[in-house]
Amino acid sequence: MIPSAVTEVAFVERRQRDWTDLEKLAWRGTREGLRRLAPDDIVRISPLYRNLCSDLARAQAARYSAPLVEYLQGLTAISHTLLYGPFARAKRARVSLASWLYAFPRTVRARKWPMLLAAALFFVPFACGVAAAIHEPAFAFRIVPEAMLRPLTEAYAKGFAEGRASGDDALMAGFYVNNNVGIALRCFALGIFGGIGSAFYLVHNGLSIGAVLGYVASQGAGGNILTFIVGHGSLELGAIVIAGGAGLMLGWSIVSPGERTRLASLQLAARDAVVLVCGAAVMLLMAAGIEAFWSGSAIPSVVKRALGVTLFVLVWGYLLLGGRGAPARGAAR
Amino acid sequence: MATPAVQVVLDTDVAIETPEHIVFRHRVAGPARRMFAHFIDLVLCYGALLVVASLIVLAALGGGALASSMETTLKLGVGLLLLLLFAAQWVYFVAWEAVKGTTPGKMALGLRVVTTEGRPVGFVEAALRNLLRAADALPVGYVVGVVAMAVSGRFQRLGDLVAGTLVVIPERMRVAGSVVLWPPAKADEWRDVPDTVQLDADERAAIELFLRRRATLGQAREHELARMIAGPLLARHRMDPRRLDANPSRALALLFDRAQNAGRYEGPPSSRGEAA
Repeated sequence: MIPSAVTEVAFVERRQRDWTDLEKLAWRGTREGLRRLAPDDIVRISPLYRNLCSDLARAQAARYSAPLVEYLQGLTAISHTLLYGPFARAKRARVSLASWLYAFPRTVRARKWPMLLAAALFFVPFACGVAAAIHEPAFAFRIVPEAMLRPLTEAYAKGFAEGRASGDDALMAGFYVNNNVGIALRCFALGIFGGIGSAFYLVHNGLSIGAVLGYVASQGAGGNILTFIVGHGSLELGAIVIAGGAGLMLGWSIVSPGERTRLASLQLAARDAVVLVCGAAVMLLMAAGIEAFWSGSAIPSVVKRALGVTLFVLVWGYLLLGGRGAPARGAAR
Repeated sequence: MATPAVQVVLDTDVAIETPEHIVFRHRVAGPARRMFAHFIDLVLCYGALLVVASLIVLAALGGGALASSMETTLKLGVGLLLLLLFAAQWVYFVAWEAVKGTTPGKMALGLRVVTTEGRPVGFVEAALRNLLRAADALPVGYVVGVVAMAVSGRFQRLGDLVAGTLVVIPERMRVAGSVVLWPPAKADEWRDVPDTVQLDADERAAIELFLRRRATLGQAREHELARMIAGPLLARHRMDPRRLDANPSRALALLFDRAQNAGRYEGPPSSRGEAA
């Protein structure tokens, strides 16, 4: 019992006008965004919210009735969500693009072990696939259906002199975005099951891509498919490895959390993983553009190969050197 | 009445402490509500896809006097559809939640995504919780997600756990009127009510709930319910046991009013008259 407290009726009578004002502002702000409110209203929200907080504390201490306390809690909750929201730090949007550009290669380097493991999980089966299919072409049919491989091989054998039929570019762009980016994102997400999902996707993709490459090469169109792949390959394969590595990282953070709880360790790894995955997705979008509009076109293969090598150097340069000497990540965030 | 030392409230609430050192509660949304919201989002996404698809077919048929141009239009259209399909699967949820903190489906059911600290989600949280959707949706129909919700205790699916988010139901409540002693007490009604009435939180809540509801009850039922709790309370405060037969409901109202308002200034007329 607090003898100095006012009665509930008097308390409500005295404070209700402020609550109603804040309630109107908070719900409008939540619906339309804080920036849509009039300047005078925005200025008012903060003191109204602080007063509400002390009202809530007073109501709880004085043991006012449950509905009143609940009402005040609900109002505190939505005002809190509004006031401490992204609207309050809107200016950072401009900074973040540059900081993401730095953060991506830095994170790749900081997490080099999962990246290397993912690369091994992808490229070892890839090499096996190539070798096995060149040695014994029928091996490829076990991994990719024959009905798919034969027309593919014929298409590569024909070369790119005719270019693609009109409309095919756009169709393939849509397909590459939906399929490749989707696979990479799924490859990351399934890493949460101890990394097993990511490992499976990496091995599976490495093996099937290798088998296709090996089969086409064994049928005598190896030069052509290399010309096709070299343009977007460094971006696409690199991105799959990075996304898979991010998934492995996520899984490993649960398996071996160190001195943190498993949940805390997972959440910490996820902060880095999201940078990796977003970067990988952007790489794959670029790769899809190149694959659809450049790799299959009638441009001479010398030019294609030259550009492919240039891109390869650029991608590696960016991943190895990008963001060195830039302001620390904590400062940019 | 034996009460446990630490009271654990079995409820779907989450307590959040603000920088102002205020603790408030969020009501967390359960799987049923969220499934329904998700269903609405799916209908919106794939409905839009269907509309675009039919427009493309119409365009192809309309402009397709030449077989080659019809084929080109269709190919362009399918490319566009595949892009939209990607957007529906991976972009739609992230974009809505990063910008608005909710999706149209969640909006329809009054749901909102907030961080476990009760702040609105940013891009990182929105991206993480929706990327992990692919894991939650396994093996079919969000089974993994629902199991995770059941285990996590705050209805968090894997994506929510990783991103540190909650789906809550912000409720718009109105100020309920206070419980007022009505009609005001006559002086002789207070004769055996002690100056300080001690009610613990449970008793207070129970009596308050009863007093708020009693107008909706029949008189016989009202007294029957009141008698259950009034007996021990009257005995504890050494009040006249005859009240139990006369009007137990009124006795509870008097006790509650004394507990709430005695010694507080600006009281309603009843207690002010007594204090003077």
